[in-house]
Amino acid sequence: MAPNIVDKSLRNDRIAAWLIKSGGLFVIVVVIGILLLIGQVALPLFYSPKAEQLEKIPSELAELLESDNSAKIQSRKQGENGKITVQLLPGDRISVHQQLVEQDLLGNEKASEKKYLLEDKLPGAITALWLGRRGQSLYAGTDNGWLIRWDLAEEGEGRLIEKVEAFKDHRKITALATLLGDYSLAVGDSTGQVTSWMPVKTPGTGEDKRLAQIHRLPGFTEPVVHLLASPRDKSLAVFNADGDIRIVHLTTERLLLELKSGMPVKSSAFGDNGRKLLVSGADGKMVAWNLDIPHPEVSLSTLFGKVWYEGYNKPEYVWQSSAATDDFEAKISLVPLIFGTFKATLFAMLFAVPVALLAAIYTSQFMAPALKGRIKPAVEIMAAVPSVVVGFLAGLWLAPLMDKHLMALFLSFIFVPLMLLIAILAWRPFAEKTKVGRGMIGYEFFGLLPIVALSFWLAGQVAIPLEAVLFAGDLKQWLYSSLGIRYDQRNSIVIAISLGFAVIPIIFTIAEDALSNVPRNLSAASLALGASRWQTAWRVVLPSALPGVFSAIMIGFGRAVGETMIVLMATGNTPIMSWSFLNGLRSLSANIAVEIPEAPFNGTLYRTLFLSAVLLFLLTFVINTAAELLRQRFRKKYGRY
Amino acid sequence: MKNYWKRGEPMVLAAGATLAAILFMTITLMAVILGNSLGYFWVKGLVEYTLNDGSHIMGQVTGKELHALTNAKRVQLKVANRDIYGQDFRWIDESDIKGQSVPKEAYLLDRMEHGNFFGFLKELKGADGTLLNPDPEMLRKLSTDLRRQESALKDIKKKMSDLNQASEVIRLKIAKLEYRNAEANGAAIASLNEKRNNITEQFDLLKDELNSRQQELAKTTATFVDASGTAKEFALLDILNIHQPNKMSLLDKVWVYAGKIGELLFDDPRESNTEGGLFPAIFGTVMMVILMSLFSMPFGVIAAIYLREYAREGRLVQLVRIAVNNLAGVPSIVYGVFGLGFFVYGIGGSLDKFFFPERLPTPVFGTGGILWASLTLALLTVPVVIVATEESLASIPKGIREGSLALGATKFQTLTRVLLPMATPGIMTGLVLSMARAVGEVAPLMLVGVVKMAPSLPIDGQFPFFHVDRKFMHLGFHIYDVGFQSPNVEAAKPMVYVTTLLLLLIVIAASSLAIRFRNQMRRRYTTSHF
Repeated sequence: MAPNIVDKSLRNDRIAAWLIKSGGLFVIVVVIGILLLIGQVALPLFYSPKAEQLEKIPSELAELLESDNSAKIQSRKQGENGKITVQLLPGDRISVHQQLVEQDLLGNEKASEKKYLLEDKLPGAITALWLGRRGQSLYAGTDNGWLIRWDLAEEGEGRLIEKVEAFKDHRKITALATLLGDYSLAVGDSTGQVTSWMPVKTPGTGEDKRLAQIHRLPGFTEPVVHLLASPRDKSLAVFNADGDIRIVHLTTERLLLELKSGMPVKSSAFGDNGRKLLVSGADGKMVAWNLDIPHPEVSLSTLFGKVWYEGYNKPEYVWQSSAATDDFEAKISLVPLIFGTFKATLFAMLFAVPVALLAAIYTSQFMAPALKGRIKPAVEIMAAVPSVVVGFLAGLWLAPLMDKHLMALFLSFIFVPLMLLIAILAWRPFAEKTKVGRGMIGYEFFGLLPIVALSFWLAGQVAIPLEAVLFAGDLKQWLYSSLGIRYDQRNSIVIAISLGFAVIPIIFTIAEDALSNVPRNLSAASLALGASRWQTAWRVVLPSALPGVFSAIMIGFGRAVGETMIVLMATGNTPIMSWSFLNGLRSLSANIAVEIPEAPFNGTLYRTLFLSAVLLFLLTFVINTAAELLRQRFRKKYGRY
Repeated sequence: MKNYWKRGEPMVLAAGATLAAILFMTITLMAVILGNSLGYFWVKGLVEYTLNDGSHIMGQVTGKELHALTNAKRVQLKVANRDIYGQDFRWIDESDIKGQSVPKEAYLLDRMEHGNFFGFLKELKGADGTLLNPDPEMLRKLSTDLRRQESALKDIKKKMSDLNQASEVIRLKIAKLEYRNAEANGAAIASLNEKRNNITEQFDLLKDELNSRQQELAKTTATFVDASGTAKEFALLDILNIHQPNKMSLLDKVWVYAGKIGELLFDDPRESNTEGGLFPAIFGTVMMVILMSLFSMPFGVIAAIYLREYAREGRLVQLVRIAVNNLAGVPSIVYGVFGLGFFVYGIGGSLDKFFFPERLPTPVFGTGGILWASLTLALLTVPVVIVATEESLASIPKGIREGSLALGATKFQTLTRVLLPMATPGIMTGLVLSMARAVGEVAPLMLVGVVKMAPSLPIDGQFPFFHVDRKFMHLGFHIYDVGFQSPNVEAAKPMVYVTTLLLLLIVIAASSLAIRFRNQMRRRYTTSHF
């Protein structure tokens, strides 16, 4: 051989080795990269906000400053073109001045004015006054800790709604402001505390909603002098007498930023849609900051804890990422979604695990070998059925069918085991006495197939008259009116069956492999000692194959947790938390599929969805790693398979 | 009997019953899909009912039902004529039916819009407004004539689309020049603008011509009446197929059936995907899968070779194997999220910034497309290829490797000349399995570029012929979209079943192929171990 050919092939070998190694390592880097990248998108949710003092104050920002912080006179737009002004007069009387502009059909404007005084008897002297942003309601705080609320929505008439003794220690209320959306009222007091209040239905008050304390926001130790709500989200700037400013967020109760202006603040304003804050002191000196608060509404407590949202009567876990208006409070608790994921998985596994394992035991231990070679590929093909097909049939065929024949379904839970029991009892004489029966060993399930089908049919036949007799022909109606159980067409039974159908072949294949690979000398020995074939399978083969069987269950679990299309199509995707198997659910994965097309790039929702993807990844990562370790142990025990 | 229970024989039977239940479920699944899809293209006869109130109603019987309580029978009728009745299906109580007949002359029309029409021919009007003899031969003749004339218009349409494309190219050129330096390139921009205006003029001329000729063709009309006598005039051009189902022989029906399957495979969809063909979806699916294999195949095989042949067995390799198995178990939607974050917004966004800054904020690569979808799916299927390749390499006896090395071959030569040829069936298994998985995967695609209606295919006659940035249609997504997002789900269902059957056939064919390859591989090298 010419030496240059040897050189060449050696060189080729080196190059190839290098290429292959780098290619292999590249794939590994990709695996790690995926997790890192998804995490990296989700991580900014938890970055702490930053503020940067502006060196030059833009003139358009300076114009936004309110003239006076003392707020004895406040005015707002009311309705389309109207205006409302309130003024605190000496003696705690409040004058209201409404300028109304009405438009008739032709577009002619008619202006009118209404003036009146609010002279209700108050429990203390008014120390803070706040006219709601829409000019609909008026709040006042007194020097002895009372909150008073008027309704000014009516023309020419102010109605006192309630007087609430907000603080039992009769501290002085020093500042009031409603947050974006005009629903929550922030209250600052002389002890430096900031609390949020909103009208809530409480027991004993009937239909009337009364102000109740909802959140306690981080405040100061010295009195609060002023509150300023952000026009962008539910955050709030809190001022004290020294000019220290804290920006806090309502929903999360987080202290977002702490700023120091170094002078007593006379007036203040948010600019640039809440991205800048400007304050000025008594001498006209101004200080402004650029606020960088990308995701104020996110904290671990809002993602995973119960939160008392605006409009709710108690703290709850809620997922509602968007609404028709801009000023709504984002509800991004992942708990209902995690709950939904586990509910779907649990129901599916309850159905799939026994079925798949028993079938695997039967196939590996009892079935005639000739048949086994055909059944296994059939189940493998079942595994290849795309999830979108299963989901489609579940949503558009099974769910309506079940809706129609709910009674038959319930009955078949009784009928199928019952019929099988009868069949099993009848089997013995048949198997022992007849020739066909003896020939059926290893083929039993063929005989059982018609019985399964028959019992479903029978359940369907019995169900109709039975439902008519017992439940006046409508089981669902009866469930609702008698037991108060709501029935969703796309409910958890549909999920259990369809998701179970998707998981069964996976569990079956891996478990069957594990069971088949238990060395035959173990079972041979057991049989030789006089154990029956079931005793051998149950007491000898199964315990030996247990790690493999466990890993099969785990891999099935991992698949069920992440399955998207089936859950998306077979549930109503309602993020509710109820264990009822007649209700729907929303899972993490389906939630991503539903919401991400609408999520603005790098917005809070987008990052939250990435966070849920990270959760899914980690969950399946843990499960799969455990399964793989178990499998490797099993492999070591019995050699290769 | 006690012994019977003790020996566990009933448990054996119970285990057998679970297997029976699994098979029962699988058979049900197949039966439901087959039963609902195969009949869809069969031209069913039309039945006319006379009801007790004297009204007439005509349609195809699609179902019969016994009411549970009253024991009354009712018939489900597909009455079509969506534009007149507002709904496609109607339930009729059998007690309301006075008489029924099978009218020989009844027509079944496939229309461009509003689904089918069932009715009788009343009037035919030629292009010049003369009334023609309203009989089936005349109708058929006019219809074929019109089709021929219409196909002549294709040339004009083609020219128009070319002009449109040319104009778009110039627009992009102008945008680029303007972005670079509008003043310095003023002359060039002006000349380009002139060129573009020229093209627009030509386009408008052609458009006018097309419109006028189409209007001319649309003058030939046919008036049909439905069973209750409501007349409806159609431009004959809008009627795609004309059948008289009650006159058709079995052979005719088979012929029409075959024709409709052809239409399904090679035509574009109509009526927001609920009718017509699936060609763009099939094309998109196939192309995406091929593109995906181009990425996943080499990397998967190389990674497997590295793991099995090059890497030293140790902690690292064990970790890598766990990582690969993990990758196989990660939910597909997570890949979709990754694809969206990394490929679409990450790489796509940067590509746009560097190469197409003049088009921003309209994204080119910074939005979902077939390239990103294939890359995402490649990531998802790479573990399948790795595992299958590794398995097949592992099943080759050590002696063969050692023999080759002992004869003086380098490691690389051993690999390419001995091991890879032997492992080919295993690698093919991995490839086909990964393809089967990719064909059925929908969730990640929804995030990275699949759409319900793509205006153009990813491959066409326009430079550069192969447009990897385009969005595409996909069979699996088609099922989800038509089945769950279309306004008239009941009418769309048959189409979804047909799509499902097609998808299932592809997947099952691919999987069976893979299983065959694998069994072949096993038979060849497995040495008995008992």
